[in-house]
Amino acid sequence: MNAPVGHYLYNAADRGFLGERIAEFEGQVRRRLEGSLSEEEFKPLRLMNGLYLQLHAYMLRVAIPYGVLDSRQLRKLAHVARRYDRGYGHFTTRQNIQFNWIRLEDTPAILRELADVDMHAIQTSGNCIRNVTSDQFAGAAADELMDPRVHAEILRQWSTLHPEFTFLPRKFKIAISGSPQDRVAARFHDIGILARPSEAGPVFRIFVGGGLGRTPLVGQEMFDSVPEERLLMTLEAILRVYNAYGRRDNIYKARIKILVQALGIDGYRAEVEQELARMNPDHYRLSPETVEAIRARFAAPDLSAPEGASDALARDRRDNPDFARWVRSNTHPHFAPGRIVVTVSVKPAGEIPGDASADQMDALADIADRYSFGEIRVTHLQNLVLAHVAQDRLLALWQELQAIDLGDANHELIGDIVACPGLDYCALANARSIPIAQKLSARFADSTLQEKIGPLRINISGCINACGHHHVGHIGLLGVDKRGEEFFQITLGGRADDLARTGAILGAALPEDDMVDAIARIVDRYLSIRETGEGFLDTLTRLGDAPFKEAAYETV
Amino acid sequence: MKRAIRIGQGEGLVLTANRLLDGNIVWRDESGIWRPSIAHAAVLTPDHYESALDSALATAQKDAVVGVYEVVVRPGRPPQPVSVRERIRAFGPTVHPQFATELEA
Repeated sequence: MNAPVGHYLYNAADRGFLGERIAEFEGQVRRRLEGSLSEEEFKPLRLMNGLYLQLHAYMLRVAIPYGVLDSRQLRKLAHVARRYDRGYGHFTTRQNIQFNWIRLEDTPAILRELADVDMHAIQTSGNCIRNVTSDQFAGAAADELMDPRVHAEILRQWSTLHPEFTFLPRKFKIAISGSPQDRVAARFHDIGILARPSEAGPVFRIFVGGGLGRTPLVGQEMFDSVPEERLLMTLEAILRVYNAYGRRDNIYKARIKILVQALGIDGYRAEVEQELARMNPDHYRLSPETVEAIRARFAAPDLSAPEGASDALARDRRDNPDFARWVRSNTHPHFAPGRIVVTVSVKPAGEIPGDASADQMDALADIADRYSFGEIRVTHLQNLVLAHVAQDRLLALWQELQAIDLGDANHELIGDIVACPGLDYCALANARSIPIAQKLSARFADSTLQEKIGPLRINISGCINACGHHHVGHIGLLGVDKRGEEFFQITLGGRADDLARTGAILGAALPEDDMVDAIARIVDRYLSIRETGEGFLDTLTRLGDAPFKEAAYETV
Repeated sequence: MKRAIRIGQGEGLVLTANRLLDGNIVWRDESGIWRPSIAHAAVLTPDHYESALDSALATAQKDAVVGVYEVVVRPGRPPQPVSVRERIRAFGPTVHPQFATELEA
């Protein structure tokens, strides 16, 4: 086949490896079912293949490297949803997809089907380097300095089954972006990488020790300008220090962020530099030839657009106010004249954030083929992206998205809620995240109202593990258990961009029944006290949280 | 090590697990059979559940179940788990009513 647009084309070695891995897991499943492997022995083996045992059934998490899919892969995911699950999948905050109703005995067959389209579930769990995430607008955004996908792929290959880093103290997450607009939450990753070009070739700014969960911390800059040839060597050294000194005695203190706090960023850097001094640079050197060989396995789409495409879009916007509103919220400037980047909201009003049915996936695969070179990206905000749409065809695309209930104009508005699966599906959760998200998105369904409110991110996590990234929500909700009942703690002021910070707790947790009204009162208060041009975070910064606290607890 | 359990006045305990083959939730009945509906679960008194739990753990591999543990319930038909978590396990995800557990299954 031809190289897919947007992601790496597997070769025979890649496919051979996947086949061997599936055969190995098939044997492990067989031995578990026969009883020669205990659950204790089997659990780490199934987790290495992305298979969790959740509340109601097994859950399979499938890797989507740097969030990029092609249409045949999306059709295969639709097929898996339809044949092996209950007709839908859930896009996650790590740009992956999860299936919630999987049978253990079906898993080898599912993995074989996924391998047919160069997909797998390896390293979507366990104490290893997880799926490397990247900017959903990579290779398309006008504001980008450098396309990070080739280096994301290099990191994927480097980290897959890395013999030193298969049993780290804890899971390890890496994100890479090539834009000055941090869309990957680089400062909230174990390692966050911001790539940029220089006269001497690509250089990489590296943040270490960020994370959410029980101990939310903003990552700190370890290096400003690592040259390309030393990228892997530097990452290797950072991970070696973590692997050697990271705590294995306490799961809650095992992430790299705790070690960075313990050593201090300067102390950690000194350890890394000592490690680098012991390493042979020639062995770890990332050569331009290697980078080019990887780059050659990505297809380059023809991004020319028909003459007058921009004029056609301007006319369509003028003639159709609803379409114009969607363009304002759900598109981003493309670097190529006449093209535009589209965020497809997987947050229809009142529905489950990030859930897509098999029929929607199939339809979207067809749409991607017709409008964006057969390429689809998954965002860490649980939406999808068509990156290279010709502007004169944008109206037709929006109409097709509306027909499959994916045309809502709410990207980065209050309806664009990020929520973990919560207690409805997750074995770790304390509270249900999804019903709150559904009720809030129904309450604020009016797209005119959403636009009036302006950018406002709500993130909901069902427990302190923070899969819904509540710490970085402008409004964050954290589910807590009080004597078996659901309560939610509100945080305000979080953000994951260049000005990264965690939200501050507003006050005592409120019962689940009160949450939607409390959030509505906070939003109403914001609308009544904001000054012209102020966003929610601006008003919060100017006035502090007192007015919002008063609103949230008004009737309690 | 056994977990500390808080049992209120008039409450009892049922035993639950996930089926090895498909992960589906099951409940242990009076005769030690794992059943898909909590409606068939044997409600145990705090004084007697430990021996039933030990027995269930001992036969888990043979019975093809994993993650055996006890759940506090208010007796009734069906028994009502006290915690939200266990009510969701017993009756299905609240966000997908079409996947609600059939109680007489």
